[in-house]
Amino acid sequence: MSFRELSAWVMGVLLCVTGADYLKTYLAAAQADGGAPPPLELFMPYAGVVVVASIIAQIVLAALAPKDADRPPDERERPLLWRAGHWAGLVQGGLCVAAVLYVGHSGNSAILFHLVVGGLIVSQIVEYALQIVFLRAGA
Amino acid sequence: MIGRKPLPITNRVAAYRERHGAMSQAALAEAIGVSRQTVVAIEKGHYSPSLETAFRIARLFEVGVEDVFGWEER
Repeated sequence: MSFRELSAWVMGVLLCVTGADYLKTYLAAAQADGGAPPPLELFMPYAGVVVVASIIAQIVLAALAPKDADRPPDERERPLLWRAGHWAGLVQGGLCVAAVLYVGHSGNSAILFHLVVGGLIVSQIVEYALQIVFLRAGA
Repeated sequence: MIGRKPLPITNRVAAYRERHGAMSQAALAEAIGVSRQTVVAIEKGHYSPSLETAFRIARLFEVGVEDVFGWEER
């Protein structure tokens, strides 16, 4: 497994775990408050955990393979990573538009933040998944 | 991979590696500035390298580009 694929696995799993935790926290708080979207402050620790865990994961990966971590994507990897980012961007855009349409339809603007953050998490997971698929298919 | 269409560009990179003191894929990758996975993909015929990389490989083995790479209609 290449360094780039390993990195995508680690970051993908990290986002799946933290994203699931975000969803769990949201659902628990919304249920406790009669279905109303919970306040944003409740999710501040989430952002901190994601950033710190990502930094730690990248440090560990770089320590395991310092040469590979230092090497920029080569001519084969660049278009594959670009293609993964392209599709993830479309997913994110689509989910954001869907979120805005939902808010416009339901009139529940408090949920917009959570829908956009959810879309961002999903699109990042899609990007890492596509990186793995494309890197494997192209090798 | 099943269903992968073979590329028309053939290569003898693995053979030249062997002739070059059984050079490893990792060593070749490092010498020409790509990942080991890219060397694997080139040798398997799954990826056609850029002209620059093809020249780097040929120069490393001290042969012409057409000695390493060929064209085969499929």
